[in-house]
Amino acid sequence: MKNSKKFSLSKPFSHIYVEKEVISHHITQEILKKFTHSKVIPINHYKEVFSRPRQSYKLQELSKKLILAKRRDTFLSPASPLCQNFGYHYFYYTNLIINCIFNCDYCFLKGMYSSANIVIFVNIEDYFQEIENMLKKHPLYLSISYETDLLAMEGIAPFFSQFVNFTYSKEDLILEVRTKSVNYMVLKSLKPSPNVILAWTLLPQEIIERFEPQTPRLPIRINTIKKAIHDGWRVRLSFDPIIFVEDWREIYERFIDYVFRKIPSSQIQDISVGVFRIPKEYLKKMRKTFENEITLFPYIEDKEAYTYPSPIKEELLNFIISKIKNYIPENKIFTI
Amino acid sequence: MIYIVTASYTEGKVFIDHFKLEKLDNPSKFQVFNKDELFLIISGVGIVNSAIATTYLLTKYGWRSEDIALNIGICGAIKTQFSKGDLILCNKIINHNSKKAFYPDILINHSMKEAVLESFDFPVKKEHQEYVEGDIVDMEGAGFFEAVSSFLPPHNIHCIKTVYDFLEYDKIDPKDIANILRKNIPHIEDFMNSLLAFNEKYLKIQKEDEKLNEILQKLKENLHLTKSMENELKRILKGYLVRNKELPEEIAEFINIKVNSKKEGKEYFEKLKKILAL
Ligand code: SF4
Repeated sequence: MKNSKKFSLSKPFSHIYVEKEVISHHITQEILKKFTHSKVIPINHYKEVFSRPRQSYKLQELSKKLILAKRRDTFLSPASPLCQNFGYHYFYYTNLIINCIFNCDYCFLKGMYSSANIVIFVNIEDYFQEIENMLKKHPLYLSISYETDLLAMEGIAPFFSQFVNFTYSKEDLILEVRTKSVNYMVLKSLKPSPNVILAWTLLPQEIIERFEPQTPRLPIRINTIKKAIHDGWRVRLSFDPIIFVEDWREIYERFIDYVFRKIPSSQIQDISVGVFRIPKEYLKKMRKTFENEITLFPYIEDKEAYTYPSPIKEELLNFIISKIKNYIPENKIFTI
Repeated sequence: MIYIVTASYTEGKVFIDHFKLEKLDNPSKFQVFNKDELFLIISGVGIVNSAIATTYLLTKYGWRSEDIALNIGICGAIKTQFSKGDLILCNKIINHNSKKAFYPDILINHSMKEAVLESFDFPVKKEHQEYVEGDIVDMEGAGFFEAVSSFLPPHNIHCIKTVYDFLEYDKIDPKDIANILRKNIPHIEDFMNSLLAFNEKYLKIQKEDEKLNEILQKLKENLHLTKSMENELKRILKGYLVRNKELPEEIAEFINIKVNSKKEGKEYFEKLKKILAL
């Protein structure tokens, strides 16, 4: 056989798997309208595709497929102790979408799931119902962009805007939306909600290039943040995960100075800071598929998670916090 | 390796001729043909036969996750959007009996049409049409797919079918089958080459690993490492390599040491870990 050594990757979302039960759901229909060239394949349950044995997460990342499904239970879950709760007692998270378009090297999703394909649960109305039920019992601090970047996905599934609209009338509900997205058009089209905190993850540009090259560049993120603040959105900055690299002092010092030169610190709600950490099981799984600087670092075990050895961790945190304190009062800095 | 499973000799013969495969002398009920990295087995008709032959082929001749398995043959079409001779890459394969469904990962572009295949235990005729969920039907695909799924990742398992009839199955003519399959060979061969190239690109890293494994093997023998020490060392060596691009010179020293006791080995192991740390 002659091997021509040529191949081309299928476009992202070249195939869309749709649970038969949600085929006529209005969000399914809205999504399918955006991908008229994709093959639509009916399925019974998303796990038929998402949980197949022996899938290659790494190869699927090269050509992600969409899976449209119905979430049938567990709409809200208590957040992991590895996440900062910002002093809120009832801290939950929810997933309307599993997996992300950005493929960051350090992303815990690579260790959590066996597939890189993106699952979208279209039945947002059931999530809202569950939130209403919980709000009858107690207030709620809810992270809605936990296993994906919801704002970055808005062009595919309009969940972010629906959530924002949902919050206007809910006093006891605070939403945290973690993002690296620069989708300002969506923000511009909405009335800023006092119940929504946009938590932008920022990393030095050198680290973005090395470990999350598919995410927007730092200057563009900062521009978007400035516009969002100007429009009246509540913004949190998240320097998390801090990644240990050679020359980290110079890199992070330059980064912090740059961020606060551009963004008036008085207009920031707060800042969260944390070094890279990952549940043990996830890292073990990631190491099997991804061999890179992130996965092969000699971490140490620290409560159920792997993280940097204490001297490195402390040095990183102390240094970075001491720099941030030059710009923002200590009571606005949350560390994990 | 590429493994091809066809139901009948008529279907297989087209590929045997094209790829100049030779019959292997193998003491089993199956006829197996081979040349270089390509194997072809004639499974016989039916879901179970296909599963047995596929399992036999992959276990007998060895498999690695970068190997590719293809079920190639003719099918009947339900939907009128297809014409006789159309070449189809199946994006879903349903076992009509168990209702289990299988999904290959289609990660690369190809020149075939796509459709849902449903495999039956009996030849599907026009009067069965209302029970058919798929776009096309055959009697093997699901058995093949379920069997290969125990071995290979879903991007390396594919069912490729050529439309032969529209459920008027009694008109089968071997010459006709050979003709329509032969016409489709260029597309199938292109797809095979694309899959090979795709896997090869992905496996580059593993090839580089061979050198590392050699060093590791020497260290393991010289320092009497246990399995868990060996695994730890492998990870540390790889980590050092990705951070520093090459291993430290001091490694050479360790490669020439021969220890006399486990205790001594452990001491050297700890020393080595220190050198490779950060
Ligand atoms: S943006 Fe966040 S969720 Fe998305 S890949 Fe990166 S780390 Fe993971």
